[in-house]
Amino acid sequence: MRKKKIIVKNIYKSFKDKVVLNKLNLDVYESESLSIIGESGSGKSILTRCIVGLLKYDNGSISFGNLNNINTLNDKEKMNYMSKFGILFQNSALLDSLSIRENLKFASKQDSFNKILNEVGLPNSILEKYPSELSVGMQKRVGLARAILKKPEVLILDEPTTGLDPIIARQINLLIKNLVKKNKITTITVTHDMESVYEFADYVAFLKNGIIEWYGNARKINKSRNNSMINFIKGIN
Amino acid sequence: MTRLLSSALALTKRLFKIIFSFFHSIGEIVDFFLNCVKYSITEKFYVNIFLKQFLKIGFNSLPVVGLTSIFTGMVLALQSYTGFSRFSAESAIPNVVVLSITRELAPVLAGLMVAGRSGAAIAAEIGTMKVTEQIDALKTLSTNPFNYLIIPRILAGIISLPLLVIVGDIIGVMGGYLICVNLLNFNPTVYLQNTYNFVQFIDVFSGLVKASVFGFLITFMGCYHGFNAKGGAQGVGQSTTYSVVSSSILILLMNYIITSFFFRL
Ligand SMILES: Nc1ncnc2c1ncn2[C@@H]1O[C@H](COP(=O)(O)OP(=O)(O)O)[C@@H](O)[C@H]1O
Ligand SMILES: [Mg+2]
Repeated sequence: MRKKKIIVKNIYKSFKDKVVLNKLNLDVYESESLSIIGESGSGKSILTRCIVGLLKYDNGSISFGNLNNINTLNDKEKMNYMSKFGILFQNSALLDSLSIRENLKFASKQDSFNKILNEVGLPNSILEKYPSELSVGMQKRVGLARAILKKPEVLILDEPTTGLDPIIARQINLLIKNLVKKNKITTITVTHDMESVYEFADYVAFLKNGIIEWYGNARKINKSRNNSMINFIKGIN
Repeated sequence: MTRLLSSALALTKRLFKIIFSFFHSIGEIVDFFLNCVKYSITEKFYVNIFLKQFLKIGFNSLPVVGLTSIFTGMVLALQSYTGFSRFSAESAIPNVVVLSITRELAPVLAGLMVAGRSGAAIAAEIGTMKVTEQIDALKTLSTNPFNYLIIPRILAGIISLPLLVIVGDIIGVMGGYLICVNLLNFNPTVYLQNTYNFVQFIDVFSGLVKASVFGFLITFMGCYHGFNAKGGAQGVGQSTTYSVVSSSILILLMNYIITSFFFRL
């Protein structure tokens, strides 16, 4: 039985004259991995930022559990709300003035990070290094470690493989698959990379013109008759 | 005729837009300030960050402030000698030097130097954090960026600038002393005695008040512009420029306002 975790209802978001989300609806189910796909600039990041509470939407509502409209939360509640999410940002967003150890301490006060580093496939020796000393792929792994370390209710991955070469991208996809599937974490992945979708998505939402144009089971994506999505998938393969 | 009218209309529209955006940004600055006050009362204070910034803004600016002060003191002695010797008032040189340095030149020059040095660095650092989503990451890691990034820097500015200016005062007076004693044949003891007897508490104090206000303006503007940086590297560059220009202008403006306030006392 699927259980709804996040309900996005009719949300509308614009910047000046530019409408980015136009009465968009989307449900996110517990313990499922949802991939949001769509052209660059279609509003995928904006949508996730609204869900997480980093950005206020102009209209509509986003509900999470028994919270009805997260736009109305006050400062304290907002901070509490945000802490339910673990986020891997598009460019990892590690604090570059701090060592990897200090970065991880933001997510968890513990002293030993052996277990988590092992899980994301990094050696312990990187703990005293700084983000700029790591490759982009390694930064992603640290970002992923930081995101899952706080045992979030929902994991958000914003283009986890964009900007990586195919081999590293494949490694990261497999790593995410292991983490997400094994622990059954509710996951929202924004991606361009169909490989990610095939590897670890349960459901797929295709975002275009400010709405979800297609939503369905990831295994049925190739049977879809939505032309713009077919073109989108063909275009990037 | 209609063309004239429509272009006049366009012009007024443009003017209103400019006025509107001016008040809009004033509103945003006030809002930013109120947030700083609110969170500094209600939430955690990061002592280590404050100490780190205190060293960065205060201690690391010592060479720059020292250099500007000593040369200013030296120039001041030479120039006032040129003037005062014309009506045999050379003995007033120590007084002029200490008065100008403590009341005016040490705070203003230190302020402008630190605005270029630390204000720019703050805007660049926070701006980069903004455009690379590090600030968003902080928020989702239960860390209030105002408490973690902004309040410690502003406090460090408010406290370190007066300390820098005290050092600047001493070095500036020494600059005047060096010129007068070595070049203009003043008696060293008399010079120092003169300076010491003449200078009043209010001279030094008003300079330190200025320094505190400048320290606030520099760090506040650096934080504000960095925090509102948009786009990529270009946006960060722009925020740095804005921060230095706005804090320099505000320093000169506030300098006049504070001077006239102490003038009436
Ligand atoms: N702060 C902003 N101001 C104005 N427009 C913005 C802003 N942020 C995003 N946009 C616009 O919103 C659209 C969606 O952006 P985004 O969600 O980042 O796209 P993507 O699907 O590639 O993640 C883009 O066209 C972008 O230009
Ligand atoms: Mg994006």
